[in-house]
Amino acid sequence: MRFGPVVAGAALLTIITACGSTTEDAATTGGSGSAGGTASGGKVGIDLPRADSDFWNSYSKYVPQMAAELSVDLMNPTNSQNDVAKLVANTQALVSQGAKVIVMAPQDTGAIASTLQQLENKKIPVVSVDTRPDKGNVYMVVRADNKAYGTKACEFLGEKLGGKGKVVQLMGALSSINGRDRAEAFRECMKAKFPGITVFDEPTEWEGSKAASMLQTRLEQNPDIKGVYLHAGGVHLAPTLQVLKAKGLLVQPDDPKHVFVVSNDGIPQEFDAIRKGEIDATVSQPADLYAKYALFYAKAAAEGKAFQPGPTDHDSTIISLPNGLEDQLPAPLVTKENVDDKNLWGNQVQ
Amino acid sequence: MPVIVVLLVVGALVDPVFLTVGNLTNVLQQQSALALVVLAEAMILIAGKFDLSLESTVGMAPAITVLVIPASAGQGAGNTGLLAIPLCLLIGAAIGAFNGFLILKFQLSAFVVTLAMLIVVHGLHLGLTGGKSLFELPESIIYLGGATWLGVPASIWIAGALFAAGIVGLGYFRAGRALYAIGGNADAARAAGIRVDRVVWTVFIIGGTLAALAGVLETGRLGGISANQGVGWIFMVFAAAVIGGVSMDGGKGTILGALTGVLVIGLVENVLTLKGVPGEWKQLVYGGIILVALMISRVAGGKAQD
Repeated sequence: MRFGPVVAGAALLTIITACGSTTEDAATTGGSGSAGGTASGGKVGIDLPRADSDFWNSYSKYVPQMAAELSVDLMNPTNSQNDVAKLVANTQALVSQGAKVIVMAPQDTGAIASTLQQLENKKIPVVSVDTRPDKGNVYMVVRADNKAYGTKACEFLGEKLGGKGKVVQLMGALSSINGRDRAEAFRECMKAKFPGITVFDEPTEWEGSKAASMLQTRLEQNPDIKGVYLHAGGVHLAPTLQVLKAKGLLVQPDDPKHVFVVSNDGIPQEFDAIRKGEIDATVSQPADLYAKYALFYAKAAAEGKAFQPGPTDHDSTIISLPNGLEDQLPAPLVTKENVDDKNLWGNQVQ
Repeated sequence: MPVIVVLLVVGALVDPVFLTVGNLTNVLQQQSALALVVLAEAMILIAGKFDLSLESTVGMAPAITVLVIPASAGQGAGNTGLLAIPLCLLIGAAIGAFNGFLILKFQLSAFVVTLAMLIVVHGLHLGLTGGKSLFELPESIIYLGGATWLGVPASIWIAGALFAAGIVGLGYFRAGRALYAIGGNADAARAAGIRVDRVVWTVFIIGGTLAALAGVLETGRLGGISANQGVGWIFMVFAAAVIGGVSMDGGKGTILGALTGVLVIGLVENVLTLKGVPGEWKQLVYGGIILVALMISRVAGGKAQD
């Protein structure tokens, strides 16, 4: 090594000081935020599951906004980067910083059980967003009904195809409950309601590259495929459009060559594609409602309120789980008719 | 080579579509981006080094390019549109140069440096794009990945030409042969008058550039850049290189071998998709076939893999 240890030491010191100053800044902004609201009940710690998906980025943008609206005393969010070990560490850090309620979105629904147990022992209620932990008590699960996504997509495609033909399902990762729920519901609905339709399942692991290759190969093998169901518009939309374009199949819905595409997520790019007639529908997964009701229930938990199963005041139903309650938020099907609806979150983000 | 023959026979039995020109062209096109990364990694491995950060460059270089060059500039075919691909390649070259600097001048371990760079480069991609997928990209960056020249996708021509250059360069030219000398025994190479550091540094820069070009092809094929573009490729890259007989210890292997490794991986994927292997089992079957391919190439090659 030609560089002296002094240089290395100085470099390290700079990095550490730089880090120190950012934490300080962050702490100050957090403090001023809580001073502004008339918060009651205690601090709410929130962990965001990942920073690399369009849906979760929208969610994380809604979180501070909704916290201000509901005057929740929100701590600085942590991010667990789709890693359950990081989620456990972040939760511990939030608790030691004084969180009285934890909002999380465990992408691995099994491995979070012992953390939930520990939080329960400390009497810290947990709101789980998007996923339903397999074990361990939760105060409330805030989640859209992912089985309904699959069913809605199946019904839409089934009707458009007149109950016969071939469709491809570009599936998410089977290790995630949401991917599994969508896939199973789609398959079961097709079997029950449209037995004349053949379904090809493509395990894309939420990867655009695999999705493009699989769809291209399947179209080569079965040029008469007439429908595609995308489990996640964020990763599957661009590759699907590109493959269809290369095959000359990206045509308006009234053209007999049109391939019907139903997506999932409700991001702005899907709405654009619907307006252009490139795809036909999407199921809008409500990022705004996820953030709003996660914080709503977190605040209620901090104030010691309790909820009962049954219909709510916001068009959803609370159902009872073995380990808590689940508020199943509505997820509307968006087609050309209602794509310009201002209430859809995809029309509110820039 | 024998592995490819086995796969072609199996594929033909699995589905009649497999051996059609359309399907095989698709496989080549799907593999062209990966192939360029394998070409880069094979050269670096032969020179006795490692580069894990290539997979992150595949996503990051085009993403930064798109952020720098506004979408409107591409349509008028103005000056900025023409600059898109050179800029992207330059970003890749810069990452390679930085890797080379840390490994050769700072004398850090290539494995750990490039592992850290894998995270840094991907982190830069996530940070600068805000984790969003990039859609509706300028035509200048999409073009190569989607265009067709003389009835064959442009990406196949590009990958083919670069592999040909690699085979000739490493097989017959002094600078190329120097890689084998360095990978085999760097001190001996130095004693023989080869400027070891300069050659290795150049290889890292070429490697980064090839990874950036792979990013351009992949972006054009997919029509968008997701925040995960390139993530997880490095396993396939190493698998392809080793199936093709490139040694992890340096000094051994050929570019032609690396190419066959890429084709094996692509054909396996294709056969599995055509067969419709259920999602739950696909990874097991895929990993299993890669292991078998390694064994076949070991037995057919006759030499121990290391």
